[in-house]
Amino acid sequence: MMSTTASHGRVMILPSPSRALQNQQPLIGSDMFRLKQTEPRGSRLVVAATAKYKGTKMREEKLSEMIVEKVKEATEVCEADVRSEECKVAWDEVEEVSQARADLRIKLRLLNQDPLESFCQENPETDECRIYED
Amino acid sequence: MAVSTIYSTQALNSTHFLTSSPSSSTSKQVFFYRRHQSQTNRRFNTIITCAAQQTVVIGLAADSGCGKSTFMRRLTSVFGGAAEPPKGGNPDSNTLISDMTTVICLDDYHSLDRTGRKEKGVTALDPRANDFDLMYEQVKALKSGIAVEKPIYNHVTGLLDAPELIQPPKILVIEGLHPMFDERVRELLDFSIYLDISNEVKFAWKIQRDMAERGHSLESIKASIEARKPDFDAFIDPQKQYADAVIEVLPTQLIPDDNEGKVLRVRLIMKEGVKYFSPVYLFDEGSTISWIPCGRKLTCSYPGIKFNYEPDTYFDHEVSVLEMDGQFDRLDELIYVESHLSNLSSKFYGEVTQQMLKHADFPGSNNGTGLFQTIVGLKIRDLYEQLIANKATAPAEAAKA
Repeated sequence: MMSTTASHGRVMILPSPSRALQNQQPLIGSDMFRLKQTEPRGSRLVVAATAKYKGTKMREEKLSEMIVEKVKEATEVCEADVRSEECKVAWDEVEEVSQARADLRIKLRLLNQDPLESFCQENPETDECRIYED
Repeated sequence: MAVSTIYSTQALNSTHFLTSSPSSSTSKQVFFYRRHQSQTNRRFNTIITCAAQQTVVIGLAADSGCGKSTFMRRLTSVFGGAAEPPKGGNPDSNTLISDMTTVICLDDYHSLDRTGRKEKGVTALDPRANDFDLMYEQVKALKSGIAVEKPIYNHVTGLLDAPELIQPPKILVIEGLHPMFDERVRELLDFSIYLDISNEVKFAWKIQRDMAERGHSLESIKASIEARKPDFDAFIDPQKQYADAVIEVLPTQLIPDDNEGKVLRVRLIMKEGVKYFSPVYLFDEGSTISWIPCGRKLTCSYPGIKFNYEPDTYFDHEVSVLEMDGQFDRLDELIYVESHLSNLSSKFYGEVTQQMLKHADFPGSNNGTGLFQTIVGLKIRDLYEQLIANKATAPAEAAKA
């Protein structure tokens, strides 16, 4: 339970989430964002921001193409009547696909998880599981 | 053989956090066994029980899709462990599993796939596109400790894929557009949250999300939001009256005419009188406080930080509202703010800050969205512990009688 009379400004030693920080100096009012950039993330690779497997790369491209198609479709359908059901549904599809695209981007960039990771551990020989190289 | 855990009532009455026990056995053997030691010291009534899973169910209403939700990741992080998709299953699964929690995306209960919705002229927001009977049955089953074969809605193909097996977790989170829509499902929820994003902020966020895509332009983003608005207002928005906590995200009031949506004003609206949930407060519970922490002791950069706390009414309910406008720039600002908030349900000084730091990369880490999501996470943990302790001591009280 938090005490309302707790003081601020005293030296704060925060328990560190990553193993790598365990042996370092206590954190004293450091810049939070500087902290974010210099904190090594243990054994995880920080760099990979793109798809690891071919299958994921293909999904990324497919979703981007679908966005182009569905925006075009929605624009056409809505020309007739902006309030029609068809128009609503068309833009809802755009939203769905845009969100799916963003989800994939976030998984890869922010979380460093390729959705095919676990599948490809079991089935490394499939076409989808070829390592993607630029 | 069922797996049993032995608790003494002393342990249960403390706030010792229960770590995860080994995974539930596949066969359902539930039996209660009581042993009452009446001759020995009466303080130590030992009760040995093998209890069925006590799943706590949390509902989160959000229009931000599933699986990416940083709220979910913050929440599961409070309980420890990272939430990951089920291993070896469908790579397009929306489910997230960690040691303590399983997060289910309610899109999996779509009764109509993308083609079906197009034919019927119905959006995903429309209740007609969702199977509430199945949602209710499966959430009820999981809550009672029974595994279910849950359908998978594939957002890439727009089809309903083969179901995946979901084991009953300690904490089940159902996330999506309609967690509180069906009354029966609502009754199953131990706690519910509604993420209420204002139109201006929604627009700004969707621009950030979509502008990099070559299919999109400002017009298409705007048109998409507007076309979905009638269904959203009719079906999704009304759920907020049922939520135990609403996180409202609005544009800042600190910068005149700001339309970038980068600095946010976030309000945590907490219902009073909810079992096992004690609202966070500032300085003096139930009073009205306006607080700007930046001053002599704390230097903040523009536009600074402003807090408000007050009691209010929300849809005929008594609520307490904690509001933060502005952003954190430095670690010490966050610690300073944390040290002045009360009833956080944190286990040690600086826990909120530590959790925020853990996910410093996530959007909202420097403003009220991250702060309140983290606090709600701690509240849910507190609720879970109380619920579990309460369920376990109930037999103890009966035995003493």
